[in-house]
Order: sequence, then C-alpha cells, then structure tokens
Amino acid sequence: MALLEITSVSKRFGGVQALEDVTFEVREGEILGLIGPNGAGKTTMFNIVSGVFEADQGHVRFRDQDLRGLRPHRRARMGIARTFQNLQLFQRMTVLENLMVSVDAFARRGLLADALRLPVARFEEKRADERAQSLLYFLGIGHTANTLAGDLPVGLQRRVELGRALALRPTLLLLDEPAAGLDARETVDLASTLRRIRDRFKLTMLLVDHDMALVMRVCEHIYVLDFGRLISEGAPEQIREDATVIRAYLGEAA
Amino acid sequence: MLADLHLIAPLTVPGLALGGVYALAATGLVLIYRVSGVLNFAHGAVAMFATFIAYQVSIVEGLPAVAGLVAALVAGALIGFIIEYFTIRPLTGRPALTKVAITIGWLLVLQTGAGLIWGDTNYHLPVEVAPTNGFNIPIVNVIVGFDQLTIFLVAIGLSLGVAAVLKYTTLGASMRAVADDPASARLWGINVNRVTAASWMIGSAMAAVAGVLITPLINFNTYSLTLIVIYAFTPALIGRLISLPWTLVGAIALGLAQQWPTAFTSNGGINEVAAFVLVLIALVVIYRPGVGGARLRLRAA
Amino acid sequence: MISAARLRRSLVLVGIAAAVVLPARLSAFDQDQAALAAITGILVISVVLLSGYVGQISFCQFSFAAIGAFTTGALVDGHGWNFWLAMPVGVVAAAGVGVLVGIPALRLTGLLLAVLTVAVALFFDNFVLATNTWPAFSGGSTQWHPHKPSLLGQQLTGEYSFYLFTLVVLLLVVALVWNLRTGKVGRVLRAVRDSELAAGTMGLNVTAWKLAAFGLSAAIAGLAGCLIAVANESVSAGSFDFLHSVQIIAIATVWGVGSLAAAGLGGIFFVYGPELLSKTPLSAKWFPLLVGAALVVQLVYTPEGIVAKTQADIAHLLHRRTRVPVADTSMVEAA
Repeated sequence: MALLEITSVSKRFGGVQALEDVTFEVREGEILGLIGPNGAGKTTMFNIVSGVFEADQGHVRFRDQDLRGLRPHRRARMGIARTFQNLQLFQRMTVLENLMVSVDAFARRGLLADALRLPVARFEEKRADERAQSLLYFLGIGHTANTLAGDLPVGLQRRVELGRALALRPTLLLLDEPAAGLDARETVDLASTLRRIRDRFKLTMLLVDHDMALVMRVCEHIYVLDFGRLISEGAPEQIREDATVIRAYLGEAA
Repeated sequence: MLADLHLIAPLTVPGLALGGVYALAATGLVLIYRVSGVLNFAHGAVAMFATFIAYQVSIVEGLPAVAGLVAALVAGALIGFIIEYFTIRPLTGRPALTKVAITIGWLLVLQTGAGLIWGDTNYHLPVEVAPTNGFNIPIVNVIVGFDQLTIFLVAIGLSLGVAAVLKYTTLGASMRAVADDPASARLWGINVNRVTAASWMIGSAMAAVAGVLITPLINFNTYSLTLIVIYAFTPALIGRLISLPWTLVGAIALGLAQQWPTAFTSNGGINEVAAFVLVLIALVVIYRPGVGGARLRLRAA
Repeated sequence: MISAARLRRSLVLVGIAAAVVLPARLSAFDQDQAALAAITGILVISVVLLSGYVGQISFCQFSFAAIGAFTTGALVDGHGWNFWLAMPVGVVAAAGVGVLVGIPALRLTGLLLAVLTVAVALFFDNFVLATNTWPAFSGGSTQWHPHKPSLLGQQLTGEYSFYLFTLVVLLLVVALVWNLRTGKVGRVLRAVRDSELAAGTMGLNVTAWKLAAFGLSAAIAGLAGCLIAVANESVSAGSFDFLHSVQIIAIATVWGVGSLAAAGLGGIFFVYGPELLSKTPLSAKWFPLLVGAALVVQLVYTPEGIVAKTQADIAHLLHRRTRVPVADTSMVEAA
C-alpha cells in the first residue's frame, strides 16, 4: 500500500522550473531513494512534502489524505519527519534539548503547567528526558547530550538531526542528503544505522542524495530526477547500468 | 464634495513638501540597508543632529543658510562614517539584529547629546534655505511657498539622482554588487568596506538634508525632528526596502495622508493614525510570507 | 567543592535577603525609588522574555505598560474600582493588545517586526494617549490619580510596605519566567528562535508560540504598568513614550537579555543611574547618552551582556561547564 503518493507535482521559482510533472509513490516499510545531480529538484520535493512550500500543481497524498494547505507542524503531527541538507539544528541548545523539543512537540502541556511547575509538567519533563537520552544512546551519541548542538562537528550534527526527527515517532522519515560532509567510513556507518532504524522503529524512509554511494547501499528502489523531471526508476543494480542516468551525472561533471 | 476640495487643496502643498522630505530620508535609509544589510534605527537621530549643526552655523553663528546646509551635509556624512567605521564594521559576520542594536545605542547617544547641547523641549528658529514667500496658483487659489517648492524639487531630485547613481555609475554598480552578495563582490575585486562606508555617508547625508529642509515646516526641536525622520521607515517599507520608485510613491502618499485629515479634525495625533495605517498596510498587504525578514535581494535592475 | 548551581542559589538567597533588609533603613524617598526599581525590573523581564527567548525586538514595551497603567487609572480613579479588580483587567488588556501586535508579526521576522513596534509606540504616544483623543482612557488634562491598594486589610501606603509588595511581585514574575525557561515552553521558544524552519517541521506551531510569547511579554509589561500607576499615584503619558521603550531595550541588552539576574540589576540601574549621575559633574540628563554609549561599546566587545559575561567568567573560574549555557543568552545574536 502506498504511504505517500506524489501525483503530477510541478513547482516554479521565478524563471526556474524546479519540478515538472513528477509522479511517484512510497510504499509502507520501504527505503526509497531519490537521486539526481545538484539542482535537480530533490530538496524542493522534500520542502513540498514537509509543507515548507506548496506545489504549483499536482497533489501530495499521505495515508490517502491530501496535504494541500496543511502547515508544516500539522504534517509533522500526521507522522512526517525530516532532516535538512544544510543543517537546521537549534544551534544554541544542547543536543539533549534538541531532541526533547521533538519528544515533547505533541504534549498538551502549555504555559500554565510550566509556569506553575505543576506535577504533570515535572513528570512529563522526566519522561521526555529519558526518551531523548535513550535515542541518543541508540544513535551512539549519548556522550554529546550536554554539548551545544552548534559546537559539534558536522558528522555528529547530522546524527543529532536524525535523532531529532526520530524523536517525533514518525511513520515517514525524509532524509535530505544525510551523507553530505561524511567520509567513506562514516557513510558506511550511516547506512547500517539507517537499516537498524528502519527495523527497530518500523518506519518508511525517503532518502535524497546526489552521491550514489549511500543510496546504492541502503535503498530498495530508486527514482532519478534531472532538471525537475523523473528520468528513470528501478532497483539499484538497474540504475547503476542506466544510460540516461549516467549521462545526467556525466553531463553535470563536464 | 466641493467644500472638501477647497479644504484639501491648500493642504496638498505642505503634504507634497513633507512627502519630498520623507522620500529623501527614506532613500538614504534604503541605500544603507541595501548595501550594508543594517536597518538604521538611528537614521532620524543622525538627521536631527546634523540639522542642529546647520542651526548652530546659520542661526547661532549667523552665517548664510546655505553654509548651514553644507555643514549639515558634512556632519551627516561624518556621523554616518563614524557609525559604520567604528561600530558596524568590527561586527562583520555577526547577526543583523546585533547591528540593529548598535543603531539603537546611537539613537540614544545622539538624541540625548543633542538635548544636552541645544535643549530638549524648546522650539528653535528654522534654517530657511529658500524664501518663505510664495506665489498663488489661480484656479484652485492655493498659495505655494518657494520654500515648499524648493523642498519638493530638491528632495525628489536628490532621490532620483541617487537612483541614477546606483543604476549608471561604477560606484552604483559596486553598491548593487555588494548588496547582492558581499562575498562574491569581494571576489570581483570590489572594495566592500569602502563601498559600505560610502553608502552610510551618502545615506546619512541625505537624511541630514531632509532634516534641514523640513525645519521651516514643523515645530522644530530635538525630538520632533527625530520622529519626523523615523516616519521615513513607512515609505521604505512600502518600497519593500528595495524599490526606490515605490519608496518615492510611498513617501508622497504618507506626506498627503498626514496632511489631508487635518482638514477635518483638530486632533494633532491624526497624522500618527495615517502613518500607522500605512505601516500596517505595508506590512500586512505588501509583504508575503517568506519574503520579510531575510535580507532582501536586489532585483536585477 | 562549590558547584555552580549551589553558588547561584546562595547568591540568589543573599540577594533577596539584601533586597528585603537594606531598604528598610533608607529614606522614604529612596524607598519609593526602590519600589520603582523593582517595577522596572518587571519591565526588563518582559524584554528578556521577548528578546532573549524568542529573539524578537519590541520598541513598544512601555506602550503595553501604558495600557496597564491607564486601565488602572481609569478604573480605580475614574470608576472607583478596587485595585485588585482593576489590575487583572489591565493585564489582560495589555496581553490582548500584545497579541494583536503579534499577529502581523507572524509573517514578519526580526527587523520588520521591530519597525511595526515603533509604529505602535508612536501611535500610542501621539494619538491614543493624547489628552483629547480618548479622555475616558487617558484621563484628559486632569490625569488619573489612583490610590495605593490595601492588601489583607493592610494599607500599602507606607513607602517600605509598598516597596515590599513590589518586590514580592517582581520575585513572583521572576519565578514564573524562570520556570517557563527551564521547562518545555522555554525550550520551544528557544527552538523557534534558533530555527523557525526546523521548529515548524518538528511539529511546533511556530505562529501560536510566537503569539503566546508576545501576549505574555505584553501582560508582564502591563502588570508593571498597573504598579507604576499606583506607585506614582498618577498616570501621565510622558512616562510611557517611545524613548523610554528604547532605553529599556538598551538597558536589558547591556545587562544581558538572556539572564533573569539582569532584570533586578537593570531595574536598579534604570532608577538609580540618573540619580548617581546628578551627584557627579554631569547631570541626570546624561543617563540615556551613557546607556546608549554603553550599549554600543558592549556590543562591540562583549556581545552576551555584562551579567552573562560575568557568569561565564565565574563558571570558567570554577572549571565547570554549566547546564545553562552562556551562548543561549544573547538576544542580539539571535537573528
């Protein structure tokens, strides 16, 4: 069953056609890859799914519900979480606090409970703290809990972003170039972490990258974007051999 | 309706003159913002301080008004330079809000300083660059003062002049390049520091001229003058802090919107209502989500 | 071994004890001033909340205070209400206007919002509070003269007892904001400040939280206004103008908008600074100039503010990394 359906989505920025008539779907439980050279429209696609922009045309359906007009926080509530290519951590908060923001995001507790320090506030605070801690340990970054997020090296910041997205308990996780800035060993590490995450949290992933190394390693199915259009799809082995895809990448290098 | 017209027509002249002054001050504000990314909350105080230099030269020392105007011009440019060179430049790379806070500090310094030197409540004699007598426009029977005409022409002329400089000269091209992207401008061999300093000097000098020109039209003291120039934020917003033509339109609109209602009410605060409503319109109607706040890019003009 | 948290707790206790005991021996005039310092501290907190936690800058905090003050004046003096009934009305009215101001702010960030608050401040100064616009609110040319309230059957007319009352209110507000800061709400607000984009995609309704912060900040400023009205037993528009708002931002920033300790010191500074100056060759009129200059110098040299800087230095001396990091304290680094 399709968890996320993208139907004929187009988006223009001024004179640039960022996406043109893109259609694909993400099935429950799979790790889907979306690749393409820089500027192919991958991040735009993510922004449209997570509600940062609206598509000019076409539909985005999640669990059979049209997402049009829903703001980002509503979509997060429905179970869509994402990371950012150009890291968007809460820089001047500790790593633990970064995760606790997500853990707590849907808690009803508001100004009053906090201001008066009601028992419910203290109880939930403790629970959020524990859940964030356990996620940090699961991701192997427990030692960074009390460091300011902005002080971490890029590789660790990417892990924190991953943890923060997971803390929302999403059903669909969108990963925007999670391997950017990582070296070869870290990339291999990340691939196994992603598989562990999928198995443990039973979630569906959509992974964007322009570097094929990670995508080939973890994705079961791959779509290829170039200049805003889907030019190919298939299993990793097929994509590796695909002449159109190779041309798109070589074209970029030339 | 005719009755209204005969009330409104005489108010149109000071309205346009006021609009001209707003245009001048707002253009300076936009220039500084475009090039250096700093929204200068001290703009009004700079204008006020420089204007009081003109007052000192022309009224206290008794030199010709033109000498006062030149002194204000120089003083404005100098203050602009000092603010930029000593307190904005060292903060390169720090967030925009830090630089705004710096200008808040300068606002207090200049405002209080002027109050200490020239007194903070009493009104002062205006610096009259042009004669205050005028001529009559027959059909509508409206008297236009030469000073009002001068203000309007000088202000509009200077605003257009700056727009032309930006568009057609090398300095203007450098300024636009710095406004677009300081890092690339540096790679192109543009001296970003010099261009930024120039924008502060020119922008502040424009505010100074605006300040001197307005003195015959208002009750002129250290506070009222600062506030007048603060109103220039409204047209700057209407021009979305990028468009000089729209800034000009906004300035004229504000000038008229502040004058016309005075025909119908004796409440002196009515021009506040006009300014406030225009700010709201500018912010709520003109700014679309996602546009505001970020450092706005220049359109490829 | 002294821990930073323990040191802080002891310092806070000593500070409170000093604030209670020391003014008892002061002259009546100085006790009045001390009450004003405590009230100003409440205003500084309203700035801390908005600027330090949410990264917004507001030039109209004194306009919010004016709403509290004039509501109190109109209800107590004009309609004979009890202060304790008038005060909540004033606070709620201020919060309501704060939310109204905040609504356009939702589509604007940082700088443009600041411009809007300038417009609000001038609109209040020159129109709403002008004597002939709305005399039922502004008190017209006779002005309002609300009397000091009584508490538990005790008239708070004595200077020292009124001072203690304002001190208690200040401490309650500090406690309230401190709780917010250390709990979920503070975390959420700082998240919004650091990245609205990420906060939204992490399920936070950024708009609603910003509005809430605006409303709360305005409510606190309004509360301060209610107290100013009865502290002076008169309400005049001149003490709520734009330049006052500018000064309170400057002072809050100089002391460090991230820190609640800054509030107390900022309040004392705002009230006693001019008086100290009048004992020097300069006059009290020099005060805003020195505040402005201090702000400029401070931003160029210690952007996090004096209190935060000192805290960091002490923490450094104790060789401990504190849980409340210095780096999250500066409004001016927030854009």
